[in-house]
Amino acid sequence: MRDLLTISPVSMSILVVLLPLLAFVIQAILGKKSTSGMISLIAIAASTLISGGFVFTAVWDNPTISTTYNWFTIGDKTFTIGILLNNLSVLMQFIVCIIALPVHIYSRSYMKGDPGIHRYWMYLSLFCFAMLGLTISKNLFMMYIFWELVGFASYLLIGFWFTKEAAVQANKKAFLVNRIGDLGFLIGIAIIFSTFGTLDLVDLFGTDGFFAQGIDKNTTWMTVAGIAFFLGAMAKSAQFPLHVWLPDAMEGPTSVSSLIHAATMVAAGVFLLSSIFPLFNETVLLIIAIIGTITALSSAFFALGQYDIKKILAFSTISQLGYMMVGVGIGAWDAAMFHLTTHAFFKCLLFLCAGAVIHEMAHLKAHENQEFDPQDLRNMGGLRRYMPKTFTLMAIASLALAGFPLTSGYLSKDAIVITAWEWALHHGGLYLIIPVLLVVVSILTAFYIGRLIFKAFFGEFRLKDLNVTHLHEAPHAMLIPMLLLGIGALFFIFSWNPLSYADAGILQGLSVAYPFAEIHALHVIIPIILTCGSLIAWWIGWRWYSKGSYPLNPHSRWIQASLNQGYLNELYHKTFVESTLALAQISYWFDRYVIDGLVNFSATAVRSLSTFSSWIDRYIVDGFVNTVAGTTYYIGHLLRWIQNGRLQNYLGFAFTVVLIGIIYLIIR
Amino acid sequence: MITLTHFLVVSACIFCIGLYAVLSKRNAIMILVGIELMINAAVLNLVAFGRYDKVNYGGQVFALFAIVLAAAAVAVGLAIILNVYRKYKTINPDNITDLRD
Repeated sequence: MRDLLTISPVSMSILVVLLPLLAFVIQAILGKKSTSGMISLIAIAASTLISGGFVFTAVWDNPTISTTYNWFTIGDKTFTIGILLNNLSVLMQFIVCIIALPVHIYSRSYMKGDPGIHRYWMYLSLFCFAMLGLTISKNLFMMYIFWELVGFASYLLIGFWFTKEAAVQANKKAFLVNRIGDLGFLIGIAIIFSTFGTLDLVDLFGTDGFFAQGIDKNTTWMTVAGIAFFLGAMAKSAQFPLHVWLPDAMEGPTSVSSLIHAATMVAAGVFLLSSIFPLFNETVLLIIAIIGTITALSSAFFALGQYDIKKILAFSTISQLGYMMVGVGIGAWDAAMFHLTTHAFFKCLLFLCAGAVIHEMAHLKAHENQEFDPQDLRNMGGLRRYMPKTFTLMAIASLALAGFPLTSGYLSKDAIVITAWEWALHHGGLYLIIPVLLVVVSILTAFYIGRLIFKAFFGEFRLKDLNVTHLHEAPHAMLIPMLLLGIGALFFIFSWNPLSYADAGILQGLSVAYPFAEIHALHVIIPIILTCGSLIAWWIGWRWYSKGSYPLNPHSRWIQASLNQGYLNELYHKTFVESTLALAQISYWFDRYVIDGLVNFSATAVRSLSTFSSWIDRYIVDGFVNTVAGTTYYIGHLLRWIQNGRLQNYLGFAFTVVLIGIIYLIIR
Repeated sequence: MITLTHFLVVSACIFCIGLYAVLSKRNAIMILVGIELMINAAVLNLVAFGRYDKVNYGGQVFALFAIVLAAAAVAVGLAIILNVYRKYKTINPDNITDLRD
């Protein structure tokens, strides 16, 4: 244990994880007294500094460091816990810290005055602890524990405003859908453990691990294990068809949505797949790529029709997660991680900007005492005149989301799309559908985020009868963290070359060797196509939404399908929810009539038996006794009147008896 | 000629009259009278059968003895009736049922 007390990357990374836990425990003990959030803020700030100063810089581009401790032994199998510090895990840990810090600062202003704020800080620290622990777990089992903990923290925070029915339904839904994925993860762990007898990531996937020694990955079990792990990632990272929980999860506070449901937790699935990447064989990778593409396309389509500003961003998140999954599926998990990193910055920023807008709209609503939905795009418009700084930051983030040059999103998205083209051209045939769809999704992305910007920030404010002078810029405590993230949405954080992703530090650090050739022409053509496509999409969006020349019928089938999320929720309700309810009804019926019926029947049988024996007892046993007694009584009664005290009667009887005796003697 | 049978018949008649009086009269005095009649019927029998004892006249002697006893018994009976009357203010035996206790 001595090495834990010295300043080593391992001990420091443990400290990074434990500080938020400490904050959680302190605030749990303090209870309602801790409302300022300073404890959480200090903890995460210290974690960020330590993670950046002692862990990331020490480990990045250096050999892997890992420590293992025995936890417990069952039979001859020893379970371990451990810390794994390689480029992937320290990068993820650092991202989580650096996203969580601005969100904490932002929350101090955003959540001010909420009656449940003490719970908020507690849960937020719990989440940070779990997420940071997840990143540096060396062991799949340990990772699973943290995986469950982030899910639980997410559940708590989605249902933070638990008096709202929608929030309660949403966190229930998130929890249930995540159970499906967690089951997959657990099955995967079980298969790995039964096959290799260890869950240690280094033993399995390290340079001397089982997979590096060249075992046969194309067995059925390995395919099943890969799909099982992917199922876990699908639920956590909201992949089609398990994405339904994420749009509903927007019922939580916006700061939570930005941290958990946009930047960090939902990316945990991608992180998991990257950590165990050597496990996947060709079949599983293809499935991952296909699911990722379907997800990216379907949620981009769903995002087109939404009116809730947060739901658009939620579908955008799902869509971008689909990109990352495609990145993993084509073998370019470094590009996936790169996109995860840039996405964390700009999507978090988008959410925080949306939060600022919602905050101001809610203020306006409270001030004017009017009833309207502060999250609905149809109530906004022209906000750039009242919130110019928010507008600027949100525009930068939107450009990054759309993958416009000079932004970070340009680099990472191009990395995925171009690699996908190279991969598809290498395989040929139907594989080409995937990159084509990715390009389409990219243009759709530009369109829906442009729609959001144009509808919210351009044109005229749509609620005409309100006094818009109350609309003003968000407070500085919210703007500063947004500004920090805004810087992170620009290219120079990740690569000095704004037009080519090849120089990006993250890609070089993770350095994955692709099994297919690099095609240089694509590196020029694809960015041009994407940028031109985005520009055209924006021009159309500008015409439609800002100029007000909207040509489509809002009641058309496609737009309704998009608004209603492709009726997936209704489908799930019809199939899974209602069949489960029907099953419950049947079991209830079975319980009620068969099991209870059996019990009741035996009870009735015993009752009738006892009634019968009671009858026997009463009428036969007692009857006999009573008959004897009654007879005796009757005889006594018969003779009693003789004893009436009248002397003459006595004499009369005596005489009668004597007479009878005499008559007997005579006639004998 | 008057035979023994005539005596016995008369005696039986007197006995029956006495018995009837004892059983059915509603007055204790009359019951006592009935008892006297029955004793006298017995005495008559003693005298009637006394003819077979011409030596000692046992029948007649015993009849005298019985008459004396009857007189004593009547005295006792009257005393009882008197006391009963004092206690119950009646000498109707139907109304006196304390014997059943």
